[in-house]
Amino acid sequence: MARPNLELQIARSPVLRYGFAVLSVSVALGASLLLERFQFRNVADPLFLFAIAIAVWYAGTGPAILAVVLSGLADTYFFIEPIYSLYITRDDLPHFAIFILFASLLTGFAAVRRRVERDLVQARDDLQIEVAERTQQASLLNLTHDPIFVRDMSDVITYWNRGAQELFGWTDKEAMGRHSQELLQTIFPTPLEDIHGELLRTNRWEGELKKTKADGTQVVVASRWSLRRDEQERPVAILETNNDITERKRREEEIQGLNQELAKRSADLESINKELEAFAYSISHDLRAPLRHMAGYTELLQKKASSVVDEKSNRYMAMILESAKRMGDLIDDLLAFSRIGRAETQKTLVSLAQLAREALTEVRQDTEGRDIAWKIGALPDFYGDRSMLRVVLVNLIANAVKFTRPRLRAEIEIGCAEGSRDELIVFVRDNGVGFDMKYVHKLFGVFQRLHQSDEFEGTGIGLATVQRIIHRHGGKVWAEGLVDSGATFYFSAPKPQGHLW
Amino acid sequence: MVTMNKLGRILMVEDDPKDVELTLTALEEYNLANEVIVTRDGEQALDYLHCRGEYKTRSSGNPAVMLLDLKLPKVDGLEVLKQIKSDDELRMIPVVVLTSSKEEKDMVASYKLGVNAYVVKPVDFHEFVNAIKELGVFWAVINEPPPGSVRK
Repeated sequence: MARPNLELQIARSPVLRYGFAVLSVSVALGASLLLERFQFRNVADPLFLFAIAIAVWYAGTGPAILAVVLSGLADTYFFIEPIYSLYITRDDLPHFAIFILFASLLTGFAAVRRRVERDLVQARDDLQIEVAERTQQASLLNLTHDPIFVRDMSDVITYWNRGAQELFGWTDKEAMGRHSQELLQTIFPTPLEDIHGELLRTNRWEGELKKTKADGTQVVVASRWSLRRDEQERPVAILETNNDITERKRREEEIQGLNQELAKRSADLESINKELEAFAYSISHDLRAPLRHMAGYTELLQKKASSVVDEKSNRYMAMILESAKRMGDLIDDLLAFSRIGRAETQKTLVSLAQLAREALTEVRQDTEGRDIAWKIGALPDFYGDRSMLRVVLVNLIANAVKFTRPRLRAEIEIGCAEGSRDELIVFVRDNGVGFDMKYVHKLFGVFQRLHQSDEFEGTGIGLATVQRIIHRHGGKVWAEGLVDSGATFYFSAPKPQGHLW
Repeated sequence: MVTMNKLGRILMVEDDPKDVELTLTALEEYNLANEVIVTRDGEQALDYLHCRGEYKTRSSGNPAVMLLDLKLPKVDGLEVLKQIKSDDELRMIPVVVLTSSKEEKDMVASYKLGVNAYVVKPVDFHEFVNAIKELGVFWAVINEPPPGSVRK
């Protein structure tokens, strides 16, 4: 960093420095002798002083002292009477002494000046290094996108980085020198005295603050403060880093709102479920009782009066009994349907082949005396609630048996269809009376029937129950059919996780 | 045919008069109705069992079987069942829950409390009569009641 100059180049080598002193005195001597030859008088002293000055300036104090000694000797020998001797007459003594004194003073002043100059250079170099470091640090702070600013203890902003400019909208020139509170209108979560108390105690503080930007909008920032102290431990500045968390806060609030909404809905659903349960209980108990009484008294009446009333009256009583029984069945099916929606599913790996065998046993009563060709393909294992899946298969197989009744030879096939990679598809196909695809959307609705009840009995809840169970297993149900050409019912569900092992 | 002198006393707890009438009719049809005590709510049933209140002066002895409805005024059936099964004097009385409810939780609760049988009243009268008959025959005639039960 120091300026390159002759002084320092000479200063490196003592031989050169002392040689320089000798040389300058020699040049001064030579010049004086030459000028004397041309009748110039009294030039030796100034020339020697000049040589000493040159030596002290460029070669340092030691060579300068040598120059003083050499000059004194040369002056005495060549220019002070008696010439060519080192003897000094009494008359010349003051002259010589003044010369030496002056030369020494010159040397002394020059030496002091050099020392001061060296200190100054050193100080300047140190300063330059420090400035460079500071500049680098400041530019590093500018590299970060985190908004950082520094304010002194009277709240005046003394540093403002690019991140702060980007977040708050003021340039460093606009922000520096202003009071941060006045500029940013910070809203504190706790009294400012508490914050300052903590800052003074621990040298840091962290918290969420609301600040106002240049355009007047508010930002929420996660603010971290660090206290800077001087060498005497006096607090001098606060460095404040502010991260914009407005968006995060907004999302947090949104999520919180959604959670509250969700909790409320869950509670609503819970209470609706409770009501449904109470409703189902009431159907189960209170609605069945009068039905039972109707049937009971009608039967007693039938017993007592059947011999005295006419055939029509007897038929009426029979109809009442039949209707009571049908309503009983409807209530039972409806309760079973509602129970599926309320019951917990207990999922295990279930063998559908085994379940199909059980379902066949269950419908045996309806297949007696019928000619049915069963075709049962390989059935996969299914991850689900065993008793619920059993209901699915029983319903579908019982339907197939029921709707093939007009066929002399019924064909019912149960199998596994090609599905996508992670999905199982099972179907039950029959060659029964089928249905019009126009009405396929009604097939799985509660109490929806596509056949007249004197043709095929049923409550219209079976397929709705199937759909509800499969939906609870994360699967789908669908059907294909053609009037008089049979029907196929499909259900799908995710493959069990252990299937690939 | 069942001989009369072996018939046990039946205690019926039923609040619905129509159910009482139909049940009694069913029992009558098989000559099982000659010793049926009818109480109309849980409190009355407990009064009977403990020989207190209006039953203070009744002849002593426990019934051979108790037919208990669950939905009852004042003290409900499950509470009556709980009190009977936690009472040393009464816990041996066979209790048959006879109810309209097919609710699983009622069934589970009843069995947990130690009920001896759980019968859902069928809607169909034929089935109802059959059920009452079989109950009456089994508990009042075939089953050997615990000592201290009243037999005629």
